Amino acid sequence: MSEQLINAIAEMDEEGALALTRELLAAGTAPTAILDACRSAMEVVGKRFECGEYFIPELILAGEMLKGISAEVKPYLAAGQADVKKLGKVVIGTVKGDIHDIGKDIVVFMLDVNGFEVYDLGIDVPPQVFVNKIQETRAPIVALSGFLTLSFDSMKQTVEAIRAAGLRDKVKIMVGGGTVDEQVCRYAGADAFGPDAMAAVILAKGWIGVN
Amino acid sequence: MATNPLDAGKSTEQLLAERAKRLQDAMELKQPDRIPINMPAGYLLAEYGGVTHLELQDNWETQQTLLEKLALEFEPDAILGLYNSPRPSLALGDRMTIWPGYGLPESGSFQFVEHEFMKAEDYDAFLRDPSDWTIRTYLPRAFRELEGLKYLPPLGMFAFGHYNLGNLPMLAAPPVAASVQALGKAIEAAVADAARTGESVRRMMALGFPPPPLAGSLIEAPFDFMSDTLRGMRGIMLDMLRRPEKLLAAERIVLDFQLEFALNFAKTTGLKVAFIPLHRGSDGFMSLPQFEKFYWPQLKEMMVTLVNNGITPVVFYEGVWNQRLQYLTELPRGKTVGWFQASDIFKVKEVVGDTMCIMGGMKNSLLQSGTVEEVRAFTRKLCEVVGKGGGFIMCTGVGEMEGSKLENVRAWVDATREFGVY
Repeated sequence: MSEQLINAIAEMDEEGALALTRELLAAGTAPTAILDACRSAMEVVGKRFECGEYFIPELILAGEMLKGISAEVKPYLAAGQADVKKLGKVVIGTVKGDIHDIGKDIVVFMLDVNGFEVYDLGIDVPPQVFVNKIQETRAPIVALSGFLTLSFDSMKQTVEAIRAAGLRDKVKIMVGGGTVDEQVCRYAGADAFGPDAMAAVILAKGWIGVN
Repeated sequence: MATNPLDAGKSTEQLLAERAKRLQDAMELKQPDRIPINMPAGYLLAEYGGVTHLELQDNWETQQTLLEKLALEFEPDAILGLYNSPRPSLALGDRMTIWPGYGLPESGSFQFVEHEFMKAEDYDAFLRDPSDWTIRTYLPRAFRELEGLKYLPPLGMFAFGHYNLGNLPMLAAPPVAASVQALGKAIEAAVADAARTGESVRRMMALGFPPPPLAGSLIEAPFDFMSDTLRGMRGIMLDMLRRPEKLLAAERIVLDFQLEFALNFAKTTGLKVAFIPLHRGSDGFMSLPQFEKFYWPQLKEMMVTLVNNGITPVVFYEGVWNQRLQYLTELPRGKTVGWFQASDIFKVKEVVGDTMCIMGGMKNSLLQSGTVEEVRAFTRKLCEVVGKGGGFIMCTGVGEMEGSKLENVRAWVDATREFGVY
């Protein structure tokens, strides 16, 4: 039945996935087994996104299904049971002055399904907020997102703030989004530019030394 | 008097005529005398004049003076200042835009804030009577000062003629009256803005600069119309999977009334251009099968109908369209303009160079942080490859030149005039 649940999620059968979850829970299936199935399903969704079969609609619906299933499972779950070991920490946000979140949210999703612990600071994030979060979490990876051309300078200021806080050699910084390119990466003093969400995953994995 | 060697000694009348023809020839996929340059200056004007974005936005004379000064210094074939004004939005308490000085710091940049003003459960009401739903449900949600419109009786009641007149006191209820008053203020502001735009066009033409190639009506691909101001990105993406038939039916409705609007606009103003900025059809948002079902057929029908009515669609292909350029070859030849933001511009030329005039090419990041030599070399390549055979308007990828270094802008326009002569 877990296999069926994985398929229902992966095939975007929203009603089927929720119905199966209820059946499984009623039949006494361990809630952690259901969450494991969800994780497996999200990996399938992520893979299909990587290979260009799925796009944003499927990512968003998968997220919705996950929310729905979690709500069903939650009452059956003992505290702490849902915790899983994560690969590494990433601090991410859309830089100051820019309120665009679509690209950033996709990167967050892809990092998350690929096992990273993602600290999403949201949009219009001042440099100091990035610095504080890096200090608090000791995350080795920072991702700066921007859509507008004004983000070029904000990215530069953010990298400078990280340097001024003495953290520059402790983090790898990637930039991406809308009008951002290699040129902007050099301008901002970041370590790498990624053209899409998969590039972000590959960069992050490379930086923490996993495949 | 022009200062660049190609135009030295020409009168402003001659410059105006030549620039207009240069742009027109390129738009019609012909080979002009040389590659025309369009400069969407935007907030660059503020940096150029040492004023805040707020001052640029709120002081029309300052904006106009800077626009004229920048135009005379760099001598492009067309130039654009700020696209829009906050005044009508502020009068209505517009919830979808934020502006320098109004929701943003004085030198912030105008941004559009998406909301899900139309909920999934609103589709049925929208499909049944889009105009009534828009006035009584949408406007009160999207504009703070129009909240009173939710108290209006169903608009169909007006078809009750004389017998409905007894209901008119409902329009005197304080929230309704306040909304009507706000609407009056917004209309005044919009009329004043339109007068300024007209004045700006006249002053620029007197200096030898024709209106930019996107001057006309503003409409959107039916999918984007449903996404941008109604459902929001998240809502629309779910609609494709959860309620595809309703989305398609809604797209039909917004396609039809936008076409009626654009056709009437062209008739009454004489401006035979429809500017269509595209948002969610680029690579990465939806799959090709989804694109073929929800995006392209409706957009293509829109463009073909415009063309059949003598209107040129000037289409901003935002983002990257590398994977779907082939579709664009289905468009009528030489009748549309494609402004490409971040697509591979050389591939664009290869695939759609015989189909449409290409606008764009210069990367904003290069003007902002490249060297003069890099700008010159890239401009040369653009002229030689994308400019080949005509049908090319040199422009930045993004319609905003904020942050560009002036020495790079100088290198860019000079190199275009050096390498762009046919």
